Amino acid sequence: MTSEIATRNLSKWYGNVLGLSDVSLEIEAGITGLLGPNGAGKSTFMKLVTGQMKPNIGTVSVRGAAVWNNTSLFSTIGFCPEADAFYEDVTGWEFLTGLLRLYGFPDREVRERAERALDIVDLAADKDRKIKGYSRGMRQRIKFAQAIAHDPEIIILDEPLSGLDPLGKRKLIKLVKDYRAEGKTILVSSHVLPEIEAMTSRIVLVHQGKILAQGDIHYIRDLIEAHPHMISVTCADPRAVAARFVADRSILKMSFGTDGRTLVVETHNRDAFFSRLQEAVLEAGVEVDEIRSPDDNLQAVFDYLVGK
Amino acid sequence: MKPVDSNAPRPSPWLSVRRVFGFFFFLGRRTGRARVFFLLGLIPVALAVMVRILLAGRAAEAMSVFNDILMVFYLQFYVVILALFYGTSVLAEDIEGRTMAYLVTRPVSKPSVVVGKYAAYSALMAIMTEVSLTLSFFIMNSGRLGEASLYRVFFGYAGVLALAILAYTGLFTFLGSLLKRALLVGLVFGFGWENVIQYFPGSTQKFSVVHYLKSLLPRRPVTGRGTLSVLLFRLEPTATLPAILVLVLVGAVCVGLACWLFRTKEYLPEE
Amino acid sequence: MTVIREKGYYHWDGSLVERRFPWWPITRTGILLAFRKKRFKLFFAAAYLPSLVFLAALYISERLEDFKFMLRGSERVIQITPGSFKMYMTNDGLLFLLVLVLVFAGSGLVADDLKHNSLQLYFARPLRKRDYLLGKMAVVFFFMLILTLVPGLLLFVFKLIFSGSFKFFTAYPWLPLSIIGYTALLTVFFAFYTLLLSALSKNSRYVMILIFMVYLFSDILYGILHGIFRSPYMALFSIKSNLAQAGSFLFGQKLPFGFPAFWSFAVLAALCAVSALVLRRKIRGVEVIK
Repeated sequence: MTSEIATRNLSKWYGNVLGLSDVSLEIEAGITGLLGPNGAGKSTFMKLVTGQMKPNIGTVSVRGAAVWNNTSLFSTIGFCPEADAFYEDVTGWEFLTGLLRLYGFPDREVRERAERALDIVDLAADKDRKIKGYSRGMRQRIKFAQAIAHDPEIIILDEPLSGLDPLGKRKLIKLVKDYRAEGKTILVSSHVLPEIEAMTSRIVLVHQGKILAQGDIHYIRDLIEAHPHMISVTCADPRAVAARFVADRSILKMSFGTDGRTLVVETHNRDAFFSRLQEAVLEAGVEVDEIRSPDDNLQAVFDYLVGK
Repeated sequence: MKPVDSNAPRPSPWLSVRRVFGFFFFLGRRTGRARVFFLLGLIPVALAVMVRILLAGRAAEAMSVFNDILMVFYLQFYVVILALFYGTSVLAEDIEGRTMAYLVTRPVSKPSVVVGKYAAYSALMAIMTEVSLTLSFFIMNSGRLGEASLYRVFFGYAGVLALAILAYTGLFTFLGSLLKRALLVGLVFGFGWENVIQYFPGSTQKFSVVHYLKSLLPRRPVTGRGTLSVLLFRLEPTATLPAILVLVLVGAVCVGLACWLFRTKEYLPEE
Repeated sequence: MTVIREKGYYHWDGSLVERRFPWWPITRTGILLAFRKKRFKLFFAAAYLPSLVFLAALYISERLEDFKFMLRGSERVIQITPGSFKMYMTNDGLLFLLVLVLVFAGSGLVADDLKHNSLQLYFARPLRKRDYLLGKMAVVFFFMLILTLVPGLLLFVFKLIFSGSFKFFTAYPWLPLSIIGYTALLTVFFAFYTLLLSALSKNSRYVMILIFMVYLFSDILYGILHGIFRSPYMALFSIKSNLAQAGSFLFGQKLPFGFPAFWSFAVLAALCAVSALVLRRKIRGVEVIK
């Protein structure tokens, strides 16, 4: 089965500066998060996938077809760029309808699609205002609207949540999840890890132009064997629980929180620890308030992978 | 709504050009700059009114002022300035403004974007210049409106301006696709080279666009002296048909080269 | 009672010292940015060509015997007088090159700040409007003075060196003052002119066109009006002609146009005043969206 987006040995230089290095990736339907700090290569990757740039080495294809100068592909792709750039002298309505006409839709369909897109992003009331009068959040929303107005099957979003207020972010995240339910392919990039975590568990980690890891966030975490798992247990008597693990060879380290109620354990074998924890808690007769994995999140995984 | 089929045939180039043309013709009219350039074109109209009042009853002198002064203003200043700005804007505007992403991620080919924008801006410039020309010409010649020959002369002038727009805009579109600082190179070409080369005798004049334009004028301007010498010069005209062909070719070839460059090159905004 | 042992911050007990030249960082940045543009260095170097030509003329004027074969009776042409200095400083070529330098170095001075909403950043610092404007104008001052005043005075010095005596200075002691006066006029006028046009748009490409277009159009308009009305006063429409008229006055030469030089000074001053008014309106820390 052909992947939605596939790259092979994809590399891109800006003069002497390496933008992307030997990226081989296959992106399937659903939501894929592209994660990395600023300058990691996320936008470069997206520009290559959307045909704005040509690879120096390697190939990039969408549904099996090369992207560069392949205009027929763009009926199925919607792109929301990172840059805050518009044709400032037009209204939101004129901007959307003008771009929709480039698809060749008849006038009536252009109007319907534009109205629907504006309703989705809550800009219907402001459609007749010039874009130069829009707030930062409104500009971001109209940018998203132009990416989805033509109902594409593949949606590529470069930092779509930047500039949005918390409510706007929640709405957009819900929208992205709804698109996934419709069977669309969404590639979304961000450097704000909790935002990506809220949308998807399938991520591609990018750093300094290279892919560090790809897959489910939890699976990636498990793969990092060099770093033990951290588990935090909050209870009334953490020392009583800790005493039951001292002889356990899978436990590498134990420490106690300054509040006197937290036990933090580092272990190579998380599953074994959890099964032993139940017995230990029952033996100690202790009530457990909370069990967490402080490092089982994207930030921790990313920090491990870049060697922090 | 049904999603679009990814294996759909490519949109016809003519339709793509039409869609791009429609979008940018609308956009171009909206900007404040278009108003400023339109107002600039009304200055010759104001001058025409002044001259008409001063030279009332002296039709031959009025025609001479139109031909030797106003027409040269149109050809060697107004059209060049417009073409320089709009021609270089065909690509530079979207690259510098970072709006290129909206165009190249649409199902319109890159050559269609170039041709569509070129056509849109040429149409806009044609409206500005032809309105100005029409008003100033008929004001200057308001006493001769019954003469059929007058209209032949008018259409001759209108045609020359239209060809000037096509040729210069094509040339500057090509420069804009080739160079980052096309505007400056265009300024040096449009107001340096195009002026200086006209003083050279023989075939050297043929290396300028303005030579062919002036060869097509219904009434050619006289050699200039003094202050206006920068606008007037010695002319050894080319025949009509070759002149038209050269101008059309310059426009077409330059736009074609711009299309090819845009299709093959990458254009990234300066970070 | 809670005792705060570690706040993580301290109150600063010092006093705020105002920088003596708050506009200087703006000027320095403007100059550096201009030199970063690739082709600017070429145009900047080209703007020295008229000075090099005049320098050659100065040299030839002092070595007429060696160049007799070239001059063949036209030695009178190479007599260096204050008129020669006036001719060099007001010549079309030099002014054209100066305008090109301004197009490069000056078009984005205010336009780029308007485009990127940087005015709010500037005025969030202890910077007054006049510091901002002075900083931007100083960029134009730098380029204008380095291309006119410096070569002008150096050429005067070279004249003395080539002639091997102070005779030229004693004959025309006011000439250095004329050079300073004219270049000051040129510099101040072009600073106001450039900033006015740069403040009119957020698009620096459009400003480039405006800088060139207004300068050239004013001269063309003079040509057209003079052709129609045959009046020397039509020269008041031309920036170049007004500068030539003012320059002739300052160098004590015969005025090229048949009206008092006062009118040219008035026109140039009026343009500067219009520029000041427009800049006062356009430069503000708060963006007003209509």
